[in-house]
Amino acid sequence: MSETILRADDVVKQFALRGRHRGTIKAVDGVSLEVKAGETLGIVGESGCGKSTFGQCLTRLVDVTSGTIQFEGTDISKLSRRQLRPVRSRLQMVFQDPYSSLNPRMRVGDIVAEPMRIHKTGDRRAIQARVADLLERVGFDASMAGRFPHEFSGGQRQRIGIARALALNPSVLVADEPVSALDVSVQAQVLNLLADLQDEFGLTYVFIAHDLGVVEHVSDRVAVMYLGEIVELADAEELYASPAHHYTAALLSAIPQLDGEAEPERERIVLTGDVPSPANKPSGCPFHPRCPAATEICRTEHPVLHEEGGRAVACHHPLPLRVLSSAERGA
Amino acid sequence: MPAAPLLEVDDLRVAFRTRDGVVNAVNGLSFTVGRGEVLGIVGESGSGKSMAMYSMMGLLDNPNATVTGSARFEGTELIGMPLPKLNRLRGSSIAMIFQDPMTALTPVYTVGWQIVEQIRTHEKVSSQAAWKRAIALLDEVGIPDAARRAKSYPHEFSGGMRQRVMIAMSLACHPSLLIADEPTTALDVTTQRQILELIRDLQAKYGSSVIMITHDMGVISEIADRVIVMYAGRAVELGGKSQVVRSPRHPYTWGLLGAIPRPGQRGQRLATIPGLPPGPHDDQIGCPFRSRCRFAMDECSEMPQLRATGEAADHLDACWLSGDARKSLRGEIA
Ligand SMILES: Nc1ncnc2c1ncn2[C@@H]1O[C@H](COP(=O)(O)OP(=O)(O)OP(=O)(O)O)[C@@H](O)[C@H]1O
Ligand SMILES: Nc1ncnc2c1ncn2[C@@H]1O[C@H](COP(=O)(O)OP(=O)(O)OP(=O)(O)O)[C@@H](O)[C@H]1O
Ligand code: SF4
Ligand SMILES: [Mg+2]
Ligand SMILES: [Mg+2]
Repeated sequence: MSETILRADDVVKQFALRGRHRGTIKAVDGVSLEVKAGETLGIVGESGCGKSTFGQCLTRLVDVTSGTIQFEGTDISKLSRRQLRPVRSRLQMVFQDPYSSLNPRMRVGDIVAEPMRIHKTGDRRAIQARVADLLERVGFDASMAGRFPHEFSGGQRQRIGIARALALNPSVLVADEPVSALDVSVQAQVLNLLADLQDEFGLTYVFIAHDLGVVEHVSDRVAVMYLGEIVELADAEELYASPAHHYTAALLSAIPQLDGEAEPERERIVLTGDVPSPANKPSGCPFHPRCPAATEICRTEHPVLHEEGGRAVACHHPLPLRVLSSAERGA
Repeated sequence: MPAAPLLEVDDLRVAFRTRDGVVNAVNGLSFTVGRGEVLGIVGESGSGKSMAMYSMMGLLDNPNATVTGSARFEGTELIGMPLPKLNRLRGSSIAMIFQDPMTALTPVYTVGWQIVEQIRTHEKVSSQAAWKRAIALLDEVGIPDAARRAKSYPHEFSGGMRQRVMIAMSLACHPSLLIADEPTTALDVTTQRQILELIRDLQAKYGSSVIMITHDMGVISEIADRVIVMYAGRAVELGGKSQVVRSPRHPYTWGLLGAIPRPGQRGQRLATIPGLPPGPHDDQIGCPFRSRCRFAMDECSEMPQLRATGEAADHLDACWLSGDARKSLRGEIA
C-alpha cells in the first residue's frame, strides 16, 4: 500500500462570530484522515459543512485551532508563515472561482510565473521557459502568456490557475470545487486534464466538491462531511454502491438521474429540513434531527468514526453493507 | 386532436446593440408549451435560455435590445404588449422564479407581507384574507411553522427556504404557466431534490404548465416531458425527454451527454466538445456548431433547419447529417 503523504489528526477550526449571534462556531470539528501518495481523496458534503475550511487547514492557508497536520512526515500545523514557505511549493491549492482567483491586472505569463519568482526557482530565462512549458501542458499556446485573464473563458482561466499551482512541482494539490463554476463540456476538459497531470507527475489530489457525480468519477476514496465532521469515509466504489451512513444514502438518492439510467436499488430518501447552522449544532449525532433512523441514543450520544475493513462510519445504526460483485468493482 | 397549446413561440429573436457590434442572443427560437406540460430547456451558459424568457416577459429593460418574432400566450401576443398589461399578466397567469430568489424578494419586508402584496395587486381581497392565504401558501411549500415564519425577513431564511418562499409567491395567483430559470442551480442536491418534488407536486395539483430552464440533464430527466437543447441562441434539438436523453440526434447533444460523469465509469476519460461556443458575434451563417463538430461537412456552411430526421415525427434536430448514419456516428464520440 502506498504511504501517507498528508495526515490530519483531530483538526479543529473555530471561528469567532461577531454581532447579533456572538460566540464561536467550529467549522471543522475534529477531523482525522490520511491521504495516500498518488491517490485522489474526494471530500463531499452540503454547503457550509466545512469542506473549504478543512482544505484551507490542510494547506495551512489558515491557522488551525487545535490538532495536527503532517505533510511528508513533518508537522506543519504550527509553522509560521516563513517556515511554511518551503512547504507551500509542494502543497498547493486550486480554487473554485476562475473569475476572482486570478489577478485581472496581471498578464497570464506573470500569474503563472509569480510563485517561481517568489521562491526564486531560477533566473528570468529559466522561469520564462517553464511558464511556456506549463501553459502548453494545460493546453495553451505559449504565446498566450501576454494576454490578460479577462480574455479567457471560465474553463481556460481554471486551467491557468492549475498551471500556476503546478509551477513549483507540488506533490499534493488540494482542489476546492475546481470545476463547479464550469459548464459540463468545459468541466470534462478540466477533469481530463487533472487526470492526465496526475498520471504524468504522480500527483496526489484532495478533491473538494459538492457534485457527487464528479467526485465519484475522480476519487479513489471519498470522505463525507456533515457539520464539520467526517461521517463516512470509504473506497469510492463501495461508498457509492453501498453507503453506510444515512446521510450518505440521502445524498446519493438525491442525485438527479439521467433518464433510463436510474439505479433501481437506490431507494429515494427525501431529507426534510435544512442543514443546521454549526453555531447550534445538535447534540449526540449531528445528523439526528434529519435522520430517518434516529433513536434515543442518537440524540444523546455522539457516534465516533469507527473503522472496519477500510471503511469508516460514524453512526449508531449504520446501514447494512452490500457485498459488491466483482463486476461492480470494475476497474 | 390536442387542444391549442398554452404558449406558442415563433421565430423569437433577441439582439443587443453593443459597442463591438450586434450580439444575437436568441436566433429564431420556435416552440410550444402544452397545457399541463413541463418543457425543459437545457443548454450551456450563454446559449440564450434566460434572454428568450426575459424577452417574452418584458423583462429586458435594455434600450439596446431588439426583440422580434411572436409569443402567443392563450392566443394573446406578448411581444410588443404594453408593459403595464404584461406586468399584470406576469404574476397572475404567468409566474417566474429565478436562480437567485433575492432578485424577487425585497430584503426590507417580511416574506408574508410580500406574498400578501402579490395577492392584493392582482386580486381584490381583504388584507386579512390575503394574510391567511399567504400563510397557507407558505405551509403548502413546506415552510415549517408558517404562521410565525411569515413574519420573518428573507435574510433569516436559508437558500432553499427562500426558493420555497419565491415559489409560494409565484403560486399566489394560480398561474397557468410557471417559468423557472435555474431554480435549483445554487442549491445542494438534497435541497434541489425537495424543490423539484415541490414543483412537480404543485404542477400535478394545479395542472399548470412549467418551463424549466437548467443546464443539468439530470434535472431535465427528472422533471420534463419534452426538452429543447439550445446552442448559440437556437434550438438544435427538440423532442420528448426520453427521446432526447436516450437517443439524442444532434452532435452537440451527443457531446453534452458524453461529458457527464456517469456511475460505474470512474476514472475513464470523459468525452469533450473541442473548442469553445461561438462568440457573441457569431456569423449567423451555417450550422452554429460546425466549428466544433467533428462531423462537419460542406453542407454545414448553410443553416440546417429544425426538422424530423428520424422515425419519430415529434423528435426534431437541426443537423445536416443523414438520419440513418446518426447511430454509428454517435458511437465515434463515446
Ligand atoms: N472566516 C469565517 N468566519 C466565520 N465563519 C466562517 C468563516 N469561514 C467559514 N465560516 C463558516 O464555517 C462553516 C463552514 O464553511 P465552509 O466554507 O468551509 O463550508 P463549505 O463546505 O466549503 O461550503 P460550500 O459548499 O458552500 O463552499 C460555515 O458555517 C461558514 O459560515
Ligand atoms: N445586455 C447585453 N448586452 C449584450 N449581450 C448580452 C446582454 N445580455 C445578454 N447578452 C448575451 O446574450 C447571450 C445569451 O445570454 P443568456 O443570459 O440568455 O444565456 P443563458 O443561456 O441564460 O446562460 P446561463 O446559463 O449562464 O444563465 C449571451 O451570449 C450574453 O452574452
Ligand atoms: S450540421 Fe454539420 S456541423 Fe452542424 S452539427 Fe450537423 S454535422 Fe455538425
Ligand atoms: Mg466551499
Ligand atoms: Mg441564464
